[in-house]
Amino acid sequence: MKDYSKDTTFINSFVKGAIHTLKVQCGIDVVSNKPYILSPGEYSKMGFEIAGLIGITSNDFQGSIAICFPEKTFLAIMGKMLGDQFTEINKDLEDGAGELMNIVYGTAKSVLNDQGYTLQKALPSVIRGQKMSVRHAGTGTTLVLPFESDVGKFEIEIGVDFSQSKAAS
Amino acid sequence: MFDPNIPILVVDDMMTMRKIVAKTCKDMGFTQIQEAADGALAWEIISSAKPSIGLVISDWNMPNCTGIELLKRVRGDSRFKNLPFMLVTAETEKTQIVEAMKAGVTGYVLKPFTKETLQKQLEDAYKKIAG
Repeated sequence: MKDYSKDTTFINSFVKGAIHTLKVQCGIDVVSNKPYILSPGEYSKMGFEIAGLIGITSNDFQGSIAICFPEKTFLAIMGKMLGDQFTEINKDLEDGAGELMNIVYGTAKSVLNDQGYTLQKALPSVIRGQKMSVRHAGTGTTLVLPFESDVGKFEIEIGVDFSQSKAAS
Repeated sequence: MFDPNIPILVVDDMMTMRKIVAKTCKDMGFTQIQEAADGALAWEIISSAKPSIGLVISDWNMPNCTGIELLKRVRGDSRFKNLPFMLVTAETEKTQIVEAMKAGVTGYVLKPFTKETLQKQLEDAYKKIAG
């Protein structure tokens, strides 16, 4: 089975998708830092207040991808995106995390599927909490793509569930 | 360009994106902007609105009734064969573009987009319709 945590085409499409999305939709310059791996049962230490999440289904594997924000970063990004100022994450604002995940995933999916990958369409959801971490389904490692910008840091996490893959069955 | 007084319908399950599209349309001068959270609700508005909806700007990826399903439903009704219909999506796979063209889409807006991009896509769509 292919190890997506070492697949630079796969990783770069999400990195470029995030940078492009934040630049165009929000007018924010973002730089990516070195990706790293979390072992099963290990979680990011950044501490998030909101995340947009999409389940990934493909012919090769299943898993999930999440774009995870500390509150301060998310409020600043939404402020730029909607041309307003926000002091708290309310119900009206929270689906912005899902929308950003949707755009990043859609952008990366188009690039990857034109190269033979088989990522399926999916709808995003939003999770919220205090200093939370995301527990991805399944048995695989989690690839973390860290980003930073003038409005703060955020991460994209890609968790692969090898137990659900066709190759594992 | 489209008459700014025509009723337009913005369809997206994500409130933030509906706000962005609606605000951009308002900034462009449109005065009658309605919103729907999915294709099923959008169809109710399209099929019963008086005066009739003059332009639809719809997300593709939505629960209940997707943007492409809504487009097919609209084109399947003889009253709306010529209703300008823009699809908004983050996905540009060739199969998807072909499906949208076959279904009779007027224009395609690719996410992420700037205000200027959306405006240009609407202008291009109008030119296409006006011939």
